[in-house]
Order: sequence, then structure tokens, then C-alpha cells
Amino acid sequence: MKFSYNWIAELVPGLSTSPSDLQRLITMKTAECEGIEPVGAHFKAVVAARVLTVGPLPKGKNQRVTIDAGIDRPITVVCGAPNVHSGMMAAWVPPGVWLNGKEIGKAIIEGVESEGMLASAAELGISRDQSGLLELKSVEPGAPLERLAPDWVIEIDNKSLTHRPDLWGHLGMAREVAAITGGALSDPVKLDALPSGDPPISLQIVKPVLCPRYSALVLENVRVGPSPLWLQARLESVGLNPINNVVDVTNYILAELPQPMHAFDADELVGGRILVRTAIPGERLAALNGESYDLDPADLVIADEASPIALAGVIGGSASAISEETTRIVLESANFLASSVRHTSARHKLRTDASIRFEKALDPENTVRGLARAIELLEQVCPGIRVVGGVADETFPRLLPDPIPLPVPLVVKKLGTPVSAERIRGILSALGFDVQITAPNVFSVTAPSWRATKDISLADDLVEEVGRMVGYGEITPAAPLVGATVPPANPMRAYLRQVRAQLAAQGFTETYNYSFVNQADLLRFGIDPELCLAVLNPVASEWTHMRASLLPGLFNNIVANVRNYNEFRLFEIGHEVHLAPRPSNEVSEPMHGVAALYSAQGDERDFFELKRVVECLFAGVRLVAAEAKIYEHPMRSAEIEWRGSKIGRLFEIHPKLLEQEGVPGRAVLFDIDLDKAQQLAADRGFHYRPPRKYPTSGFDLSVIAGMRLPVSRIQDELASLAGPDLALLDFVRQYAGPPLPEGSKSVSYHLEIGALDRTMTAEEVSVIRNRMIQGMRDAGYELRV
Amino acid sequence: MLDEQLEELRRATLAGFASAGSLEELEEERVQALGRKGTLAQISKEFGMMPAADRAALGKLLNAVKQDLETAYEDKKRRFAQSELEERLAKEWIDVTLPAAGIRPGSLHPVTQVQNEIEDLFTSLGFAILDGPEVETEEHNFDALNIPPSHPARDMQDTFWLSNGHLLRTHTSPVQVRGMRQLGPPLRMIAPGRVFRNEEVDASHEHTFYQLEGMMIDREVSVANLIYFMKTLLSSIFQREATIRLRPGYFPFVEPGFELDIQCLICGGVGCPVCKHSGWVELLPCGLVHPNVLRLSDIDPDQWSGFAFGLGLTRLAMMRYGIDDIRQLQGGDLRFLNQF
Repeated sequence: MKFSYNWIAELVPGLSTSPSDLQRLITMKTAECEGIEPVGAHFKAVVAARVLTVGPLPKGKNQRVTIDAGIDRPITVVCGAPNVHSGMMAAWVPPGVWLNGKEIGKAIIEGVESEGMLASAAELGISRDQSGLLELKSVEPGAPLERLAPDWVIEIDNKSLTHRPDLWGHLGMAREVAAITGGALSDPVKLDALPSGDPPISLQIVKPVLCPRYSALVLENVRVGPSPLWLQARLESVGLNPINNVVDVTNYILAELPQPMHAFDADELVGGRILVRTAIPGERLAALNGESYDLDPADLVIADEASPIALAGVIGGSASAISEETTRIVLESANFLASSVRHTSARHKLRTDASIRFEKALDPENTVRGLARAIELLEQVCPGIRVVGGVADETFPRLLPDPIPLPVPLVVKKLGTPVSAERIRGILSALGFDVQITAPNVFSVTAPSWRATKDISLADDLVEEVGRMVGYGEITPAAPLVGATVPPANPMRAYLRQVRAQLAAQGFTETYNYSFVNQADLLRFGIDPELCLAVLNPVASEWTHMRASLLPGLFNNIVANVRNYNEFRLFEIGHEVHLAPRPSNEVSEPMHGVAALYSAQGDERDFFELKRVVECLFAGVRLVAAEAKIYEHPMRSAEIEWRGSKIGRLFEIHPKLLEQEGVPGRAVLFDIDLDKAQQLAADRGFHYRPPRKYPTSGFDLSVIAGMRLPVSRIQDELASLAGPDLALLDFVRQYAGPPLPEGSKSVSYHLEIGALDRTMTAEEVSVIRNRMIQGMRDAGYELRV
Repeated sequence: MLDEQLEELRRATLAGFASAGSLEELEEERVQALGRKGTLAQISKEFGMMPAADRAALGKLLNAVKQDLETAYEDKKRRFAQSELEERLAKEWIDVTLPAAGIRPGSLHPVTQVQNEIEDLFTSLGFAILDGPEVETEEHNFDALNIPPSHPARDMQDTFWLSNGHLLRTHTSPVQVRGMRQLGPPLRMIAPGRVFRNEEVDASHEHTFYQLEGMMIDREVSVANLIYFMKTLLSSIFQREATIRLRPGYFPFVEPGFELDIQCLICGGVGCPVCKHSGWVELLPCGLVHPNVLRLSDIDPDQWSGFAFGLGLTRLAMMRYGIDDIRQLQGGDLRFLNQF
């Protein structure tokens, strides 16, 4: 929202704060200023000039023009405007003036020295008319342009005005400025301008919930034409497009009170009645913007007896729009339910200057105030205009705002700084609140109508009013007085931190991927999209589902980094999102950790390297060969078993997946359920075992077995045969090749045997050794002893 | 006589030790002089046969010579050992600048690092670290935070809606609600986490980013407390005295609500491109917890009050490391990630 400094200054007479100080004060006490910009600085130099002669120049487009600019000599300028003619009054920009970021100088054009220039309304920033020179009326050469002065525009962030309907107009901001600077506010509305008497039209509000108040006025002897320059320039400076005197007046009031208004051509309305009703299915509205809208039965419309003539609070219809032929108008000044306007505006994807304001919940008092202001302005800009009859004003009883009890100590306590009762009263009064004393040190505060629609309802809201006007910079920081307590632990967070640190120490780099995946990702990793939450409004077509696995993201990271690295290690820790099958449809977000070890020259050693990492993370972990998933190498996949539970999988990714992406080499990954792992990590009841006091005796055994028999099976059998005196069972090596037959391997172990309470004799050890050899042979193994 | 022999033995042997070119030659000299059948042994024998009266003076000399020779021998022997060691070690030269083999540590994501730091800071101040789901209900994300269905604040946040009618949390604030309901007052909590807004991605906008929510509820919590707290927090995060200011900001779940600005750390407040020449950088929204928010989580606003704030972890990490493109944080590019 753009605010004109001059406009504010008119409403706060005597304002002496500079524009830049003002924007800083507004930022600190009211709403965020995004910037401040000078507009129309050239108006202090531009003067009226009479065109004396117009002569052609060789190239045909430009003309040589002499003008009387009210100084002692005629001035020559070169002008290309089509409407330049002798005798006209135009605006002359003398040399040395800056216009739209360019310094106007003395230029030689087609051999003629042009001293400054004659300007169009667009060049002067008065309107968007660039069809020709601005033509001035009833003015003498050398005179400044009437009521046009340099101004500053302060731009306020709309988001910081969301809760303040009153700040969508200059009057509201002027009230803030008056309260900040200690100035007085001058209300531009004179309600006694409103005519009394019977209104010439009748109103019927069918849906009072959606339209708490509708006021209208009929005016005749209207002559539609351009507004005076000051009005055009002022609208232009705050970003509103000047159109004609009647529309400009409504827009002026929209930007001032703020009260959006609409002018209908009274002669285009069917019947003498205006209806405020919801749309009938099938109705359409051809709107002022040239578009046509299919109306929804939830849309509130303004209708004559035949059809909708406006989409309430959003846009008027083209059929009833005023034109140069218009002589009688119906001026609408209404109040609509904010949420209804918001929904209609969203439904038709149409945000207008009116709808943006209505959806903030405007002050219903402003409907008639708007009409009063309109009468005054129209009389200025549309001479001869006459009001017909009185004001039509259909209003429904509104809940008056309850007075809010405000104990002074509450303000002091909430702000944490002393504020006197006098100051509180002063601040609130300046902002338009009614402040009464009901008990010692307790005020009863009633919000003004323009703050009561939704903004202010609690004592806390008033604390904010006082706080911001006092200035938060005035508050001395103070340490809170609270008990020292140890916060409840978050074991999961602590665990994740430990896992992250360990993985990083093992050479893995942490990556963050989006929580979104697409259908192809899911299918590639064997996930049923039906068991994933879909995003109804994805930001892009590749992010349609919530990730039910972290693997697709990590896989994409591998593919993306291959071009820069021959080998790397990556990990990610984050939530999977699952949707349980019907009927439960419950959503769960298990925490998972995935890691990848990629090597362009990879071989099976990578698998064991990642296995080593898993063993570092989970002491005593075991891998159990598992049936491969579709994305896993069919011969290189395992479940990770820890403390008796399956916590995840370790696998080489299916070489086909890499090939499809043109990625050479191999990648080994793990995917671990960290919720499970954390529980298991936390559950361990660990007790230390004293180091053995008595020596053990060692010997080696080599077991010959089929190539694909898991070593873990041999190990388990050896351990169980060794019995309770086994002190150590150490894998030494595995061997395949001559003289062993094809398809078999020899696995060697070193064992240490001993008792806890004495030194075992050689015979005792020998008994165990023999038992083991015999046991293994009985189980079908061949032993090399 | 014997004394002359002793003096001669000393002179000759010391000269012999001195000229010995190897450990063997030295040993030879030693045996000759000090060995069981060496010169000194013979002299001692003769000495033993002398009358006791003559022995006193000569005995002193004998001991002195013996000690001198032994010392000289040990010295020389040590020198041989020393030079032998030096020679051996000299051959063991290595090029210390050769690169070492093996795996180097990886790295933690910059957001993880910043988050860890802030978590530690808050834990030390007695704050619990809480978690909440990323898939949230409308109730937690909006209603319970005083954002009713028709509230325009819902326009401010572009929400991702999901097929089960839930949404992706647009802020970490729903964890406030969970914290209040789960732990009750008094409460000190933070909630770091991933949040989502349906926004087009560019160098400064992301649909997925990280926040850290903070909340404190106690008997009397004031704006002065909030300012104190934010100042302490930010001074610690930026490791220097932070100058902050509060100005009005509108967020439905706080009243009064503030935007907190920090004096630009780049220019110190005189104005630079980073602070758009204002001297201040908008850092975080905060405020006193709205009474409705307390009430909606069964906390009596007449008995308790609190403050809340929302720190942008993503933004903080970007400020800390000078990251100028937010997309890099979730781009998975090791050339970026390996730097942290």
C-alpha cells in the first residue's frame, strides 16, 4: 500500500516530521515501511506555457515550437507530440529539471536547440495518458501547475496491514501519524453534507449476514470528464489509475477512508430497486475489466430487477458502468462480510483494490461517511452535479464492541516497564479509543468502530497499542525470574546426533533431500504409491508424493555427484512418511537413516566396508542374507539384525538402476529404522565383566564347507560346540582354490579356551578341542586339523 | 717407581682410547689396560706386596688412574653407540609430505551444525527440545494457533495439502501446541524442524526450509523478558554483543507481536547492501503468546503468560556461512556439502 506524504500532511495539519523520519517512525510504531520515494519533484519547476508558433522540421515527425513561458523572451523547444498547436497551453519543463530519472537539458535536435521540453501527462506523472501534450486550461503563462507539488510516497508492506482495515486508507495512517507525532487529526468527512429526505431508490438486502450495511445516493446533472490534475496526480502517486472525475472520486475515497465505492449509471438500471443477494445458478456477469464471470451461488451480487450488476465488493458490471453519456448515477457505498468477499475473490481469481480492502473487515460506519465525502468532492470536480433526494441506507443492527477493562498494572506487567496511567490514556485516546476510569487504576476502553471489526477485542490488544506507541526501544531488557530446572531429555535427538557424528567421522557427508518424491521414484524403489500420501497441490510435477523412503533422494544424489567424484560417501537422516492401508489410513513418520558408498571402480569390498561402518554404529550387529528387493543386487543384500531385531537393510544397489542412469561402478547402501535402533540402543542393561584372571589356551581349526554356506553358520556351530569355556573365537581367513575341490572353501578360526576360576589343564583343553572336531565332523563338515 | 708406571699407563691408555677407530679397537685397549690380566692388574698385584706405610699415597693414585681410565672408556663407548644409532636413523628418512592414505571425515549439513549449536544453547538455559510431525492437522497448524478458517493469515502461508485432508506444517508453531498440551505450564521448549510452503523455488525462496520455534510460559513473562532473552540468545549465536530492536509485527498467535531486527552485522548499522542500507536486518518474528492460544491448549491466560519466537534456521545458516543461494542446501551437491 502506497501512502502520499502530502495527503497525510493534509489530514494532520502542521505535520513537521520529515518524510524519512516519518517512515522510520511508522516502521517502529505501526507497520513496516518498505521504502520511500520522491514523486513529482519537478512540479516546483514546471510552468504553464502558451504555444506561439509551430513549424515543421525536415524529418517530418518533430516540430519546432516557440512558447511563451511567462519570461522575457520566447523559448524554442522541439516537440513530437501530435496535438501540439499554436495557442494551446502546455506544461513546460525547463532545462535542468529531473524527470523520470533523466535530466532535461538543452538538446540540439535536427539542428534546432531545444530548451527543455513540453510534456505529456504521463511524463509528468499525473496520469497514464501519453497520447500527446498535457493541455492546460484557464491558466496564465509562467504559472505553476495548480495544486501540484513535490511529494513523497511511503510504501508499506501489505502483510503488516493484514489485521488493520483502517490502515488501508490515508485517514487511518494519518491517525497513527498524529498519535506518533502528537499532532491533531483533521477528519475530512463532514456528515452534514448528507442530504435528508426520501431516497429515490429502494434497497433490499436479501443476505444481511453477507452485507451488514448498504448505503446509496442518487446524483443527477453529472458530466463525466477528466478530473482536475491534482486529483489525477494524487491517485497516480499511490498507484491508482485516473479514469474520469466520478470514478476518480470513488477511488480517492477508497484510498482515504478507506471506503470502496461504486458508481452505476442510474439510467442503465432496470427497475427502481437495488437487490443485494446471492447469485442464481447460471448467472453471469460481464465485468468492467472486460472479463465475464460464471457466478457461483455463494457469490454475493448487487442486482437490479433483471440481473446482477456487480460482484459485491469485487468488481462492477460493464452494462451499468458510467460513460461520457452518463447523466445520473447511483453511488454505492456498502459494507460486505470480509470472508465472503475473500472467497468470491479467490474463487474468481480476481483481486481488486476494493476486494483487498473488504476482506480486511472494513468499518460499517464508513458507508455514509464515504457518501458525505463523495458529495463534497464531486461538487469540486463535477460542477453542477446535484443530489437527488436523501440517502438510502439499509443497515442491520451490529454488536457494539464491549468495553474492555484495562487495569494499569496489567499493562505494566505485560510490557515489563513502568507506564503511567496518564500516558496510557493519552495514547489510547489519540488512537481513537474511548477511555473511561471505572475503578482506581482501571480503565474501561472501547475500541473505535474502525478497530472493532476484528482487530481489538482483548486487554492484550490494548497492551500492544500502548507498547508500540511507547516504543519497544524504551523497554529495558530484564531476565525472567523462573526456577532453574533440568529440561526433560530428548533421547532420540541425542541419539541422532551421535549417529550423525559417527557417520561423518567415517567419511560420510550429510545431505538433505526434499520430503517429496514422484511416482517413478516410488515405483523404482518398489513402493506402492497408494501407501504414500499424495500432495494435492504439488509445487512441481516431480514432487507429487511424500517420501515413503529416503532411498530415492539418496539415489538421485549419487547420480548427480558421479560427474564430479569417482568415489564418495553420503548419508541422510530424516522422516519417512507412510500411509497405512485402509481402513486405518494412519500416517506415520518413522525416522530413517540412509547411507551410500559409491565407487566408480567398486567391487564387493565396498559391501564389507559399509558393513564395517554398520558394525561401528551398532556393536554386535549381524547381517542375515535376505531375499533381495527389486532395487537390490539379487546376490548382495542383507537384513541388519541388532539385539534380536531387524533394524534395516544393507545392499548393493541393483547394477541395472545405475546403468539406466549411465552411472558406472557400484553403490552400496544401507537403510536403517532409527526409531527402532534408538529404542534398542536405549534398552541395553549393560554390566561389565571382569577381565579373566587365568590364562587361556589357544588352537586353530579350519573348516571346509560349501562355497555359499554362510560363515556365520560355521561360527555359530563352533561356538555352540565349544561351550561355556570359549574365551575367543576369531575368524582368521577364508580360502578357496587348490587343493580344495571346486565349490568349497576353507574357513580358519583361532580359538582360546579357558575357565574363569582356574587354569585349565592341557587335557581339559584337548577334550574340548576333540569334542569340537568330532561335532563338526558329525555335522558333515570336513576339518583340516 | 710404581707411581711412574701408573702415570705412564694413564697417558698411554688415554691416548690409545682416543685413537681407537672402532668399538673393537677400544675394547682391545681396555683389555690391555684394565683387563683381568692387564697392566693395571699387574700394578695392583705389585702394589699389594708393598709395605702398608707406602701404600696409602700410592693407593689414591691407583684408584684415580683406574677411575679416569674407566670413565674415558665409557665415554668413548657411548660415543660409538651414539654415532652408530645416528647412522642407522639417518637411513630411515621419510618424506613427511607424502599424503596419508585412508578415509577422511565427511561433514554435517550446515543446517545440522547451526541447529546443534542452538539446541545446546537452549538446553543450557533449561529448554526442552520437542518434536512434532511434518504431516499436521489443520487444528494444530492453524486453529489452535488462533488462525480460524476464514482468517486472512491463512493466505499468508501457502499450504501444501495432502490426500488425507492433512497438510504439511507451514511453521514449527504447531509444536508449541503439542508442547503446551503435553507438558503444561511452566514450560520452556524449542522445536527445530522442517517446514513447508508452496512457493516457487529461486535463489532466495524454498518450499522446504528449517525453523526453530521457541516458547516460554511462566507466571509472569513480559516483553522486557522477551527482549532480554532474544538479546542473550542472539549475542551467543553471533558470538558478539547483538543490538536488536522490536517493532510491531502481526502474527495471530502472539499479542503483542513483533518483528525483531538485528543491527546489521556486516556494516555495524551504518548501512550496506545486505541490510538494504537500513542498518537493520529482519531476523525473527516473536511476541507474547496470545491468550487464545493458551486457552486453546488448556492454559489459563490469567494465571500464565509467555513468549514465543520463530527462528529461521535456514536463514541463520545462510547468514553464518554467507550462502547466497538457498537451493544449495537441498541440492545434494558434494562440492557444496563437503565444505562444511
